[in-house]
Amino acid sequence: MKRIEYDILFVGGGISSLSAAHRLVDLARQNNLSLRIAILEKGKDFGSHVLSGAVSNPRSIKKLFPNYETTGFPIEGKCTTSYMTILGKKKAWDMPSFLSPPEMNKLGYLILSLSNVVRWMTSNLTEKVKDTPSIVVDLYNGFPANSIIYNGNSVAGVRVDSTGINEGDNCYARVTIFGDKGFISRDIITKFNLAQTSQKWAVGVKEVWETEKDLSGKVWHTIGYPLLEGSFGGGFIYGLKDKKVAIGMIVGLDSENPALHPPQILQAFKKHPWVQEMIKGGKLLKYGASIIPEGGHYSLPKEFAVDGAIIIGDALGVLDLKGFSGVDKAMESGITAGEIIFEALQKKDFSTGTLGQFKQKLMDGWVGKELKSSRYYRYAFHKNKKLFSNYLPNFLKGLDNYSLFIGFINTFLSNPIDTISSVINLKRMMSGKTDIGPVKWQEDRTYSRADYKVEAMAEVKGFSKNTIYSTADLVFYAFTHYHHGNRHIDEFNADVCRQCIQKYHTYHNEVPCVGDCTAEVHEVRLKDNKYFHFMNLENCVQCCTCEIVCPEKNLKVNPAEHGSGPDFFGL
Amino acid sequence: MEGVALLKIIVFIKQVPDTSSKAGVNPDGTINRAQARRMLNPFDRYAIQKAIEIKRSVGAEVTCVTMGPPPAVEVLIETFEHGADYGILLTDKRLAASDTLATAYALHKVVHYLGDSDIILTGLQTTDGDTAQVGPQIAERLGLPQITYCEQLSITGRTLRARRVVEGGHQEVEVNLPVLITVANSATPLDYKRFADVAAVKEFMRHPEERDKRIKNVSLDTIGADPSRTGLVGSPTVVGKTWKLGEIGGSCVIFKGESIEREVEELIERLHTNGKGIEEFINA
Repeated sequence: MKRIEYDILFVGGGISSLSAAHRLVDLARQNNLSLRIAILEKGKDFGSHVLSGAVSNPRSIKKLFPNYETTGFPIEGKCTTSYMTILGKKKAWDMPSFLSPPEMNKLGYLILSLSNVVRWMTSNLTEKVKDTPSIVVDLYNGFPANSIIYNGNSVAGVRVDSTGINEGDNCYARVTIFGDKGFISRDIITKFNLAQTSQKWAVGVKEVWETEKDLSGKVWHTIGYPLLEGSFGGGFIYGLKDKKVAIGMIVGLDSENPALHPPQILQAFKKHPWVQEMIKGGKLLKYGASIIPEGGHYSLPKEFAVDGAIIIGDALGVLDLKGFSGVDKAMESGITAGEIIFEALQKKDFSTGTLGQFKQKLMDGWVGKELKSSRYYRYAFHKNKKLFSNYLPNFLKGLDNYSLFIGFINTFLSNPIDTISSVINLKRMMSGKTDIGPVKWQEDRTYSRADYKVEAMAEVKGFSKNTIYSTADLVFYAFTHYHHGNRHIDEFNADVCRQCIQKYHTYHNEVPCVGDCTAEVHEVRLKDNKYFHFMNLENCVQCCTCEIVCPEKNLKVNPAEHGSGPDFFGL
Repeated sequence: MEGVALLKIIVFIKQVPDTSSKAGVNPDGTINRAQARRMLNPFDRYAIQKAIEIKRSVGAEVTCVTMGPPPAVEVLIETFEHGADYGILLTDKRLAASDTLATAYALHKVVHYLGDSDIILTGLQTTDGDTAQVGPQIAERLGLPQITYCEQLSITGRTLRARRVVEGGHQEVEVNLPVLITVANSATPLDYKRFADVAAVKEFMRHPEERDKRIKNVSLDTIGADPSRTGLVGSPTVVGKTWKLGEIGGSCVIFKGESIEREVEELIERLHTNGKGIEEFINA
């Protein structure tokens, strides 16, 4: 059988891969270079597994598509008002601009539905090469990469599909680019020992609503209610065109709470009178969840390339928590990778000699600079856990019951010296001006505590029942579809699960995979008087949260096959 | 397989309006095929599956044949991705509005045109016409034995053993090749496209000579069919009247209540307020 071989192989058809492909095709066209590209995407269509907020600085889009405003680039709106809002149980306080971090000001930025952007970029790419026979772009939607093929210490390509047994199921390339959010590329990080400190993950859950009110162009980022138990996170509300609104919640997975129930945190968020006002009379259109790499600078791998391969986007972890911007940086990482690969093609050198320059180029550019300046941002909150567990709730109590001023006083009086030193400390770390050297933290999974006392989530009253959904009902709106016999999550050892269940049940807590699942996949069932771990795989939205939080490293989420999984279009 | 002639398999397939797309009813009630999204008739997937299974087990050359307007070539490409070898697109303006009699006439002429074949496979029926007549009619015209509603089959030499679905059970039959088989949709689970097959199709679609070797466009003249026996003139079937019954869709409502009683009350309330009373709803 003929070897299936390309010059360039992309694993994952997300925003970073497509940016790289666009840049590469542009350069090849300008220089009359013939080029064969393949893009593997596990989703049924390009974009169907893509989910993001998303409000983005248009700088990378402008770079790739200078005429994006007139060429049909899908935009949900331009941000006209941007607020950082603090939520109590009853009140909402829009922070004045001098208090809120300047990076959170999104005025003039683009509000996007990333799944639609990816779909557009895909068709635009096909269109671009239609009349250039020397450039081949083959799109393989519905085909995930299952494992990496090495040739000694260099990456030769990937094995497509877990059922693949023949040579014909392998795809080889001179350079393989991993824009796969770590699904497969984590293998490279382990094999070549590239990890600095482990990635800090958060999970984002998002709903899109059709509303009576037109909120287009309005952007809110919130902290406070309903996350009042110390978990790091916040909410967002973006007004889209056509009277739609995106409502989401992001929670750090390094929480001590083993049962975050992210979709239910989002429901609690929606119960707030301030959110209720926006969505009343509306209709839920879609639901989805996705993980977010929040670690930043120190969670980046030591090298961004190995012989024959480059890692980009979320697989690398270029998201900047300061300002919560990932889309522009993921795109820029793709654009930069595209340029380096073009150089490699011209030099015919696909070793780290050329590909290794990708790190330098990216880190010398604005992506690296911004990541560097916010290198302690996540660490600041990691070190000052009291911010989210004590000070913020104290402040909100004052805000809810009396006034803003009382809120401040309340927080200060609770522990004057600590509060002041914390605030100064936080400011210093967030700005990144003082250097304290590389930081370390443990894997997210190590923070959950079996003996954690779960407090009942802060409840508010007066919400409309029709706007609130159980997680089981929400999954219906993720439109997941799997084929008969699908087994995409590996559970390595059932005994390990049983012991874990016993450990957490001793303290009447849920095990993390059940407690943190965004789609009711994991479940503990009782059979013959014994508890065991059970999975409703047909619900899975492919977010990978369970794998990250499993205390025993006993779960592995594999990419969906045969075009199965959720349908995130519109999210 | 050296020295042994490969089995020749013909699979008849059809492109139908996508059942999940909303567009597609003309004001006069006929289906607007140009506007509707298109797909491969789902029943035909089982016929293709059987052909590929035979190809993979005993070796065969699989030719898929479809009759329709030029865009129908899409379904041929899809069959290549599943592993078929050749495709024939019978396209001719004079075929428009053919009923099952005229269609079967034209398709049997394609079989003659292709020369000897060992197995002809068809789906059970289509999702647009739903007649299940064309397969058996082709067999009659060709004077071939036919096995309808076939679930399973095995081939030993020139003998084919098949399991048919019949009411309340199944029936085992044995037949000598050549034969026409309509494949039931209770047949084995469908395989997924293989990466190698999809990659090969992308490759040959880029090379015009290769592509022309794999896909052949034929007209009534090529296959030597009599135009007066096809199309509207060759179709005795008269469509009396078509009318629109309504539209599928609307929104889904999930009832959430404190108790099941309350949920049921809500459901009854909703059925009443939506114009149709419960009695009418049940009697309808």
